[in-house]
Amino acid sequence: MTIIPRAVWILVLSCAAAYAQTSTAQFKDTVKEPSGLPLAGAEVKVTETATAAVRTMVTGADGEFSFVGLRSETYTLEISKPGFEMFVQSGVVLREDRNAGCRTEAADHTFQRHDGASLGDLGFSPVESQGSAQDQARLDRRSHMLKTHRRLGLITLAPMLATFVSSAGAAGRHGTVSGRELHAALGATSAGLHLTTASFAIFAPKPAGITTRGTIRVHKALTWIHGPGMILTPILGAMAFNQLNRGERVHGIASAHSAVAWVTGAAHASAILSVSIKF
Amino acid sequence: MHRILRIAGSVFLSLAMLAAADRRWVLEQSTLTYHVSHPLHQTEGVSHAAKGKGICNAGECNFLIAALVKSFDSRDSNRDLHLLQAARGAQFPMVSVRTRLPETSLVLPTIVADLEIQFAGQTVQYKQVRLETVTQGSEVKISGTIPATLSDFKIDPPSLLAIPVRNEMCV
Repeated sequence: MTIIPRAVWILVLSCAAAYAQTSTAQFKDTVKEPSGLPLAGAEVKVTETATAAVRTMVTGADGEFSFVGLRSETYTLEISKPGFEMFVQSGVVLREDRNAGCRTEAADHTFQRHDGASLGDLGFSPVESQGSAQDQARLDRRSHMLKTHRRLGLITLAPMLATFVSSAGAAGRHGTVSGRELHAALGATSAGLHLTTASFAIFAPKPAGITTRGTIRVHKALTWIHGPGMILTPILGAMAFNQLNRGERVHGIASAHSAVAWVTGAAHASAILSVSIKF
Repeated sequence: MHRILRIAGSVFLSLAMLAAADRRWVLEQSTLTYHVSHPLHQTEGVSHAAKGKGICNAGECNFLIAALVKSFDSRDSNRDLHLLQAARGAQFPMVSVRTRLPETSLVLPTIVADLEIQFAGQTVQYKQVRLETVTQGSEVKISGTIPATLSDFKIDPPSLLAIPVRNEMCV
């Protein structure tokens, strides 16, 4: 078990604040295990070396203890809890310094259970067992971005479907200029949403050393179909739009607009299904 | 003296006693499985990477078994990363189980154990968890299910298509 003290910087802050007012200091710290979990119910005792004055308290659920109104002197810190080896650190200095503020000489130390093995005994290295708030923040950001990616992907289905429905009024016997304009507007909306959706997946942080496994491989493979398709479809659509507005029949490469759009839509829907239903 | 203890089923462990004098158990192999349920998915994550030890003293054995949260594999890297994030596995990378058992209980057909599980930054006690044991020569197989829930560890249930997974995640 490790007590990870935050005393160094906390004391600097608290003493600096206290100096201007009452010249007393606060000793605030958190008792934690190597896994980073706070240790509740640990008895903490600080003894002023010069006067043997003792203050005690018990850590709360967050593992924190805080002594306020301490004199800027040297203390012995003792932490104990049934089932754990007592931790003792003498020479903890709460020092007032006009130039450097208040400092403590506390350092990292280890709090071992005496009734069994610790994570270190099991062969887990500190690198493995110590968590990283920074890595967690990256994972949180990744997850948040991918959730947005999923939501936008689903939302994109609506204008995409409307675009397909409106295609009946854009060309053929029932085609009109206003029908084409509606179809083009819906298509542009679909393409814009699709691009936004893709950006959330493209720019989500990628954890190192992860081998892609499972249905996400299908999802990513389908990206290579609906991604280029969503770029190509509006280009072909614009060509077809201009040809029809000039009174021409849709010809050349523009005639592939409809087929490319259907393939793109199907690939997009399949990409959503691939991560939604277990195959 | 060399004895083997196994916990099978959702939790499968193989511990070997190093020496009678030391009365220490060392985990040699293990299989830990969690189950997560969603209307569209039934997911299992498996870890074979747990490490553990037991130290016996004055007739009582203290066991610690731990695994890296990221060692659980559900055969889908995307899902594993989402679960790692939901379980705050980067900040709290270990899942550990502690229990104290009478030394004599290891040979009984049923063990009722109080388990302390540390996971996702929380410590949760599971009282009176029933574990079945089968002794075969120098081996003891123990099987049981820990009735853990996501809310026990203050984990927001991950959702798919706006439908959250069920709270129960038996281990």
